[in-house]
Amino acid sequence: MTLTATRTGTAGSTSPTGRQLWLRSRWFLLFAVLLLLVGLLVAGLGSHGQYPPLDPRSPDRDGARAVVHLLEKQGLTTRTVDTEDTLADALAEPGSTVVLPEPDLMTTTQLRRLAQVRRGSDSRLVLISPEAAALAAFTPGITLATTANGIPKSAGSTGVPADCPLPEATLAGHAELGGLLYRPGADDTGCYPRFGAYPLVRHTDPGSRELVVLGSGRLLTNERLAKDGNAALGLSLLGSRHQLIWYLPDYAAAARSGDGSAAGPQRTLTDYIPEGWTWAGLQLVLAALLAAFWRGRRLGPVVTENLPVVVRATETTEGRARLYQRAKARGRAADALRQAARHRLAPALGVALTAGEPDPTALCAAVADRLGRPAAEVHALLYGTPPTDDAALVRFTDDLDALERQVRQP
Amino acid sequence: MALTGRTALLVALGALVVGLLLPSWAGIGTVTLPVLLGVLADLVLAAPVRTLRFERSGDTTVRLGEAATVELTVTNPSGRPLRARLRDAWPPSAWRPGTAFAGSRHALTVPAGERRRLTTLLAPTRRGDHHAHRVTVRSLGPLGLAGRQGSHHVPWTLRALPPFTSRKHLPSRLARLRELDGRTSVLARGQGTEFDSLREYLPGDDVRSIDWRASARRNTVAVRTWRPERDRHILVVLDTGRTSAGRVGDAPRLDAALDAALLLTALATRAGDRVDLLAHDLHRRGSVIGRSPNEILPAFTDAMASLEPALLETDMRALTACALRMAPRRSLIVLITGLDARPVEEGLLPQLPLLTRRHEVVLASVADPRLDELATARGTVQDVYGAAAAEQTRADRRRTAERLTRHGVTVLDAPPAALPPALADAYLALKAAGRL
Repeated sequence: MTLTATRTGTAGSTSPTGRQLWLRSRWFLLFAVLLLLVGLLVAGLGSHGQYPPLDPRSPDRDGARAVVHLLEKQGLTTRTVDTEDTLADALAEPGSTVVLPEPDLMTTTQLRRLAQVRRGSDSRLVLISPEAAALAAFTPGITLATTANGIPKSAGSTGVPADCPLPEATLAGHAELGGLLYRPGADDTGCYPRFGAYPLVRHTDPGSRELVVLGSGRLLTNERLAKDGNAALGLSLLGSRHQLIWYLPDYAAAARSGDGSAAGPQRTLTDYIPEGWTWAGLQLVLAALLAAFWRGRRLGPVVTENLPVVVRATETTEGRARLYQRAKARGRAADALRQAARHRLAPALGVALTAGEPDPTALCAAVADRLGRPAAEVHALLYGTPPTDDAALVRFTDDLDALERQVRQP
Repeated sequence: MALTGRTALLVALGALVVGLLLPSWAGIGTVTLPVLLGVLADLVLAAPVRTLRFERSGDTTVRLGEAATVELTVTNPSGRPLRARLRDAWPPSAWRPGTAFAGSRHALTVPAGERRRLTTLLAPTRRGDHHAHRVTVRSLGPLGLAGRQGSHHVPWTLRALPPFTSRKHLPSRLARLRELDGRTSVLARGQGTEFDSLREYLPGDDVRSIDWRASARRNTVAVRTWRPERDRHILVVLDTGRTSAGRVGDAPRLDAALDAALLLTALATRAGDRVDLLAHDLHRRGSVIGRSPNEILPAFTDAMASLEPALLETDMRALTACALRMAPRRSLIVLITGLDARPVEEGLLPQLPLLTRRHEVVLASVADPRLDELATARGTVQDVYGAAAAEQTRADRRRTAERLTRHGVTVLDAPPAALPPALADAYLALKAAGRL
């Protein structure tokens, strides 16, 4: 049935020329460039590093740039120190305020070393939320206020009256104090009492060397500075000397220097790989990219075609069977099976059909005659009541099959 | 453009050089740059794909299930030798299952200015027209690092014809047809039988067929012989609506219908009758009218090749009107459709008197053997409900068939394999009875 013929159609290359490629992709390229520019712009506008809380450079809600900025406007010189050594030097400087947020992040050895520094005269050290270790190192007189179980007491920062003779506090009046609570030593001044303890304690050593312990630095944050007397208290606490030095530990640098402590920096797996192999890895990444391009390039597009509809012709019948089962339509199912059996039995026994149905009595009599079973029993099977449950339906079907078999092969 | 695995491998091996000797950007550059230069050189030196010329030849038709070869001639007019991988893409159903990938790809070398011929072996699994998609060529450079890639449109159409698997029933039915010829005694004289000739009386002939008048003119006893009527008109009407889309086994009902129609056509053409074809659902899908006996079977298979079941309810009124126009005088109308109660009652029954008034009508329907399987399944509750539903469906079909029979229609309901011979037998019976 096959015939051979030569046929030359409108053959031609379907690959686009360079010009077509450019015309096709120029709007896409333009859009991509625009997207890149907008992305860079957004990134440039909104870019600032992630600062830790109470960082004097941070404009975030929990930063402390506002208070430092105000102090600078009043003529104070401010600077930050980031290593333990420079902090020790700063502590030794006379006429300075040193802020030490979260001193407990330092190791015990560091704290002990810093506490042994002979502090300059007329200086103030502000510890923000120090815990037991830092307190023990710097000022053994002040202790953490604890509950009966030995758990440190703390309170949420809310506006509270000063209620103490400290001039800074009396000037500021109400301020938001809270956080950790402390019990002052014998000569110390505790302010803003909360639950029988103090979130602000001042200790004075001879030579006007002051030490202020703050339960929380919340009143110094950009977000809360304008509330209550926070600004007044913060400015007077930090601005009493000509110089403000803020300790900002550079943890990454500390880890790099490996300062000999037992808990030295973790060396990652990459530190153990010789440097040459990172370059080799880079080269392998390049090879992987090329391999991806090699594998990703298809030899022509995928060919599609319309598929025919696949619907089994018995789909509706099977659907009807499921409907019968769900509706427990045993009567209807039994009727269908009975009718089919009657239609098969009637011609086998020579019973005539009238209007498509055999005569019941004649059929039953013929079946009973053939099998020697009572006609009533045969009638019950062929014309009886519907089965009451599924098990009965299965039994009924088996009985009906047996009857048919017996009639065919008595 | 396209790269080869060789490029990636070279760059990967370069990692050893970078790792051991030159761990720096310079090292990466030293290793990668020559490879990239090689890629560039390959791209420049590869034979151009755009200027290649293609030409096809080979089979344009094939019976479903048989293999066809389509040849592709590639001419390389450029001054550089073409070393390429080529893909001759065809729709998935044009391939023998599982060979689509390997069968479509060819390795190819064409020296400058020469041509080469490739052979693509197709074995369509679906009836209808299969169009060549496109030819994609990846022309590699001399280093084998990279190549140019491009596609050409080289049109070709391979028509897959219905398989006509019921051909095997044709010899036995033709033998039966010959039996009808020249029979005297058994064949009742009816209005459809024609007087053929006179021959000498042989013992055993029916005495009623003795032509006394002719016997008087000669000195032997002559009997009349009859032959089946010839030059009758048969119209095969295929319903390609939704009832023909249901799958019986793994082929749609329509395929069995086509097979039955082809067997009937082959038989009736040999018997000297004229056969026309109409395929109809909502609209007329195709027809073959008034072909000569020699070309009728090719014309039928060609018309049937592109028939697909449509998921539409058949417009029986339009179908009847169309059939009546195509059968102006008494004909045998063979309607191959479904026996589902609803479409028959609402669509066909009101139109039936128009058809049966002047024509003999045979309605053939493809039964589903799965229905019998369902009806005899026993064991679980699910099986019993399934059996009940199947019996209900069979009863419905039986009732529908009875109603049609009351209208004087011959109804055939047989599974796909049995339908073509059943239809042929029904035709022979009608012919023997002289009802055409």
